[in-house]
Amino acid sequence: MTAAVITPSRRGSGFWRAFARNKGAVLGLAFLLLIVLMAIFADVLFPTSPWDMTAAPFEPPFSEDALLGSDTLGRDIAAGIAHGARVSLLIGLTSTAVAVLIGVCLGAVSGFYGGWVDDAVMRFTELFQTIPNFVLAVVLVAIFTPSLTSIVLAIAIVSWPPLARLARGEFMSLRSREFVQAAVTTGQSNLTIIWRQILPNSLSPIIVSASLMVATAILLESSLSFLGLGDPNLMSWGYMVGAARTVIRQAWWMSFFPGIAILLTVLALNLVGEGLNDALNPKLARKGRA
Amino acid sequence: MSNRLRYIRQSLTAAALAAALATPALLSAPSVAVAQERGGTMNIIVQPEPPLLVLGLNQQGPTQTVAGKIYQGLLTYDFNLKPQPELAESWEVSPDGKVYTFKLVKNAKWHDGKPFTAADVVFSTSKMLMETHPRARAVFAKCEKIEALDDYTVRFTLKEPFGPFLQSFEVSSAPIMPKHIYDGSDYKANPANATPIGTGPFKFKEWVKGSYIHLVRNDEYWKAGKPYLDDIYFRVIPDAASRSVAVEQGTVQQTQFNDIETFDVPRLKQLPNVEMTTKGYEFFAPLSWIEINTRNKPLDDKRFRQAMMHAIDRKFIRDKIWFGLGRPATGPVNSVTRFYEPGVKKYDFDPKKAEALLEEAGYKKGSDGTRAKVKLLVMPYGETWTRLGEYIKQAMKRVGVDVTLETTDSAGWVNRVSNWDYDLTFNFVYQYGDPALGVSRTYVSDNIRKGVMFSNTMGYANPEVDRLFAQAAQTNKDEERQQLYSAAQKILVEDVPVAWLLEMEFPTFVDKRFKNAITTAIGVNESYDSVYMVKK
Amino acid sequence: MPRIAVFISQRLVKAVFVVLAIAVFNFFLVHAAPGDPAAVMAGEAGAADAKFVEQLRQQFGLDRPLYEQLGTYMGKVVQADLGYSYRQQRPVFDLLMDRLPVTLSLTLTSFVLALIGGVALGTLAAMRAGTWSDTAITVVGLTAYATPIFWIGLMLILLFSVNLGWLPAFGTESIGAGYTGWAALMDRVEHLVLPVVTLGLFYMAVYTRLTRASILEVRDMDFVKTARAKGLPEWRIVSVHILRNAILPVITVAGFQAGHLIGGSILIETVFALPGIGRLAFEAVLQRDYQVLLGIFLLTSVVVVIFNLLTDLIYSLVDPRIEVAP
Repeated sequence: MTAAVITPSRRGSGFWRAFARNKGAVLGLAFLLLIVLMAIFADVLFPTSPWDMTAAPFEPPFSEDALLGSDTLGRDIAAGIAHGARVSLLIGLTSTAVAVLIGVCLGAVSGFYGGWVDDAVMRFTELFQTIPNFVLAVVLVAIFTPSLTSIVLAIAIVSWPPLARLARGEFMSLRSREFVQAAVTTGQSNLTIIWRQILPNSLSPIIVSASLMVATAILLESSLSFLGLGDPNLMSWGYMVGAARTVIRQAWWMSFFPGIAILLTVLALNLVGEGLNDALNPKLARKGRA
Repeated sequence: MSNRLRYIRQSLTAAALAAALATPALLSAPSVAVAQERGGTMNIIVQPEPPLLVLGLNQQGPTQTVAGKIYQGLLTYDFNLKPQPELAESWEVSPDGKVYTFKLVKNAKWHDGKPFTAADVVFSTSKMLMETHPRARAVFAKCEKIEALDDYTVRFTLKEPFGPFLQSFEVSSAPIMPKHIYDGSDYKANPANATPIGTGPFKFKEWVKGSYIHLVRNDEYWKAGKPYLDDIYFRVIPDAASRSVAVEQGTVQQTQFNDIETFDVPRLKQLPNVEMTTKGYEFFAPLSWIEINTRNKPLDDKRFRQAMMHAIDRKFIRDKIWFGLGRPATGPVNSVTRFYEPGVKKYDFDPKKAEALLEEAGYKKGSDGTRAKVKLLVMPYGETWTRLGEYIKQAMKRVGVDVTLETTDSAGWVNRVSNWDYDLTFNFVYQYGDPALGVSRTYVSDNIRKGVMFSNTMGYANPEVDRLFAQAAQTNKDEERQQLYSAAQKILVEDVPVAWLLEMEFPTFVDKRFKNAITTAIGVNESYDSVYMVKK
Repeated sequence: MPRIAVFISQRLVKAVFVVLAIAVFNFFLVHAAPGDPAAVMAGEAGAADAKFVEQLRQQFGLDRPLYEQLGTYMGKVVQADLGYSYRQQRPVFDLLMDRLPVTLSLTLTSFVLALIGGVALGTLAAMRAGTWSDTAITVVGLTAYATPIFWIGLMLILLFSVNLGWLPAFGTESIGAGYTGWAALMDRVEHLVLPVVTLGLFYMAVYTRLTRASILEVRDMDFVKTARAKGLPEWRIVSVHILRNAILPVITVAGFQAGHLIGGSILIETVFALPGIGRLAFEAVLQRDYQVLLGIFLLTSVVVVIFNLLTDLIYSLVDPRIEVAP
């Protein structure tokens, strides 16, 4: 029965070898660690709040009291980037977690039970896929006023459908496998089967998708903040670019550096996601498709 | 810099070429250049696009600017807010301040050729505006009767004296509407709303929605020889960046109010082809403040509010957030408007004093250095206000007050503020030339009305202030009114029901070839019958 | 052929239901919002007394029960009447139609260019898999895929408008320049270059990746080997045998994303100040213009549904072997 689940230790070493074969992934992981460290130690690196006006407004980069320049109110861009890393990572991870929760639950139910349940869930999923997701996110955040919670929920709500489809596919194919049938005949409850038998075996593709979804979520968050739909109390990269948009003629650095931060983080996450794909889904890796 | 110039030059050359190829008009128009000579087309930005141009039915800012050229009021006001003749050539006030008699101009005609008479004035002020114009309704409801003594004389009889009565007759406060078109009709559904008919120097010609409104010279205008301009085009340009570019390239010749974002003002000021003025807004005299919900702790404590006044650097706000536009406000009345009192308590920028006041009020620093927590609902009227919110948050943090920012859209903002569901927010209101029209409404206790925006949403109540404002409105003797308003201002500045920020200034950019654009306190809403173009 | 007709009609029926469901969903979503548009408008008119607010509410039907408002709305939707924007004093349908050309010219041009560019680059990369040109294309694609489009837009403005002065940064035409004929057309094209490139880059990266992966998969299949064995010229093998089969997944994803381009155009239209649907959507959200928002939602969903239908159709045409599953 447990034969289908690869034992952790073997999986571990094989995983690392496969992951390390992808040089881009290792590079991405290293950079990602750097960002995480920056987020964790933001308070040590820049002890004052990123909202504090610590320099004269419009200071160019490499000036005395602002390494990457200051913004229109004299706030340190570097401090903003360090503190903004927290927001980006936090929103990226939590909204992905929520999306995975919604998507996997619906997909699992759909794929496991099939029939009219499957039909209903899939129609529901289609409905959500038909509305352009960014438009929906903008509307949700605007209506429920921008805050950390509303942004996380909005991103999760527009992101779950692909995961639901993925989970459904996995559950459907696994459901007909012998070890699941065996569990059914031994009289295990449906919940136990889903939780103990099927889910562990369908985790790999879900993990890969989720890691790529973190990148998309960070992009979505920055786009919302850029439009002025971010949490007004949290310094974020998208906000910094959006606030600097109007002075781009006079001060390129205000929008340049935060944009680079987004770019590198998302790139790193994508590379790590591909590495995970290579390592966890050797079958899918050839296709190179997320 | 040189690169930008190059781009502009390229565009200009291209434009000139295209114009030369496409239209021989440049050659055929004979120009006899004499000062104040006829001719010329003016392109003015209008933003946002007005919903309709019938000023009696819609009084939004852009409507006023466009319709001010089509419709007229009985009076207008000079920079010191003294009444000037428009459709009324003279007027008299009875000694008891209850009877106002206006003599009207005799040769004015509506754009459809019908004569303008006293009947139109009576109809507008006693019937139509009473139904469609909230601000006019508040004023003309004070009249016992409004009657035409003859075709060119109108008499208003008030129930009791009302100080600012003569300040209520400019074109947007009391636009005179044609009786022969509107009387007896459903005003809002009148088919004539699509083709507004006024008495003004410019006639409605064409409106291409989303693009422009075209007005043409009224050849039958009642002032001989005027207007000078042939056409005015109001160009709809929804995006702020494009509006600035249009000024730079010279494709529009005037912008007003908030058309140009504050951060672009310093740059456009340097342009050789346009001139900037902040005059012409005296009638509106906008004043901005932090609105304080005095029902909530700790904002119910006067000392806390005074501490806020000391904690905020209004000069920084003016210089760094409004890029030099405006003046730090000293109290509830804008210094360019009537009955301003300079001798009030001064609140200098002084964080130490702010902290002392907070200590005194019992707001000690907690272990995290925080004395109190409040929320600030940022007004959703553009990025400048967002920057202001961020500044206030930091400024208050310096004195130990933790400010949480909240954002919302305009509907949510109006909803929450008017239902008193806020701690702090921003607001700015127009003063409309007289404290009885634009100031008292914010502070008197009988204007504490739940669900109504721009009322006394702070819940501030002071019987003495109520009495002073009421008494000042009920007399038309300026000296007496000055004393009463001075007393009220001193009390208000001591009480700090709102934390005043700036006497706001709006930049008006006008192409240097166009003269006489800004001549009165209503500035860009003026009829423009004396604007002319200097041809080179 | 009749099979396809059956298939298409089934899809159409389904599409109509999806659109109706979305209409109901949108209606409730937008009405869940706090705030009353009548109060806002009254406030902006200068002074708001209760009577004026009440008048406005009656005028908009906001005083009716919610189900009645929904009923009215659905009845009109069926007749393609999207309601009236009291904010702008214009029918929503007209507003949308005014803005649609800008958005369509932006999104369709970006889409077509991105598809062509993506397939070309993807094919090039796949046929030279492992060489430096493959690596270069992959790296550039990955970067484009990771860059926020609003930021690319700003950087392009910085480079091409502010520093080099080659291209205009904002709007759809030079205002009041009075161009006619050819000059007017060129003026518009010039204004479209930066927005189209910005929006297109991201999707080009997506299509490049897809094409490359898809070709790598098909390249070694038996029928390709057979073609090679027959000695057919390489370009023929690529264009007829490989591409034709490899392009299917690209079409699926592209058709699926085409509707979503409208979402991207909110950002692009904000950055480049283009008066299109995306910007209208953003303005409507901020001004809480119920009717316009509902209209935009419905329009974008219809666009997506149409694109999905077209995708299915093209799919069945490109590859006749594919059975059209009901």
